[in-house]
Amino acid sequence: MASINFPAVSQVLPTTNTNTTAASTAASGQKSFAAFLKDSLNEVNKAQNESDNLTTKLAKGENVDLSQVMIASQKANITMQATIEIRNKAVEAYQEMMRMTV
Amino acid sequence: MKLFSDTISTLENAINYSNIKQKVIAQNIANVDTPNYKAKDVTFKEALNNAIEAKKTDARHLDFAGNNQTGNSTIVTKSSAVYNNSGNSVDVDKEMTELATNQIYYNALIDRISGKFTSLENVIKGGR
Amino acid sequence: MSIFQGINTTGSALTAQRLRMDVISSNMANADSTRGKLVDGEWEPYKRKSVVLQAQEESTFASHLNAAKNAGNGVKVSKIVEDETPFELVYDPDNADANEDGYVQMPNVDPLREMVDLMSASRSYEANITVLNASKSMLMKTLEIGK
Repeated sequence: MASINFPAVSQVLPTTNTNTTAASTAASGQKSFAAFLKDSLNEVNKAQNESDNLTTKLAKGENVDLSQVMIASQKANITMQATIEIRNKAVEAYQEMMRMTV
Repeated sequence: MKLFSDTISTLENAINYSNIKQKVIAQNIANVDTPNYKAKDVTFKEALNNAIEAKKTDARHLDFAGNNQTGNSTIVTKSSAVYNNSGNSVDVDKEMTELATNQIYYNALIDRISGKFTSLENVIKGGR
Repeated sequence: MSIFQGINTTGSALTAQRLRMDVISSNMANADSTRGKLVDGEWEPYKRKSVVLQAQEESTFASHLNAAKNAGNGVKVSKIVEDETPFELVYDPDNADANEDGYVQMPNVDPLREMVDLMSASRSYEANITVLNASKSMLMKTLEIGK
């Protein structure tokens, strides 16, 4: 058809396994969750910065593609939402714990 | 935590490729009457997963070929050897069909990536 | 290079083609002008003009490093040249500009050739308009990611 190689595009890269190790005890489970949340916050920060950089470049008319700006801002948005939900769950779990009558 | 699947990075690369292709098509059609202008094309290499980083032994060493924002696509001269008598090798009809194809391709990619983002959002919000 | 590079490229092409059409209409209007320019006290007929188009590519050093990613910046008219084809001699002894033998020098404009040129410029202009619309609709579609 055209010079665009659809087959080439569809060769998906081999997926890398990014699983976190399962917690063996409750304590270590708690610890990895804290690390998890911290990682999440770092990612949000990174994503937001990236999105801000690209938006500034867009505003200044510098070397950037509109699609990159839109995609970066969407990614930052989704990462933020994910982290907010994680935080909500953590708070909920804590409150559930506090409600337990001894 | 890897929120964004490989499909999304593939889509991103393809969108970058389509952007560059649009610019190249615009340049080719703009130069349809320029003597001795050779038509350009874009290649798309999916094979490279990681950006090729320049090995720097000093902080002042230059990076390879600009930042990797444009992914793995390169602009080359089209290898077709058909020139008209003024040395111009732009086939305007081919360029116009590539323009139409590229536009549909781009719209499809944008649709898909938008869909993926929306479904991610739905999952995160838990259907609320 | 900004998000509008494609549109700027096409804009330069539209300008160049329009200038080309203007030059062609000047040629057509002056196809019969026996008095174009005063040279050494004598009137010289109108000389046909044509445009020289030149592709605009990036030429700074930094952009050569980045050449694989740079599509270029369109086209421009680098100069307008006069055609040095000799003038046609037409026998017309009653003309005010006839020489001793009764011949008048007419401009070296061939209306047929100008018409063909005009059609070519017109088609190129239309093709570039299509590209402009395509680029614009792609950008508008991009703004809808995530909506």
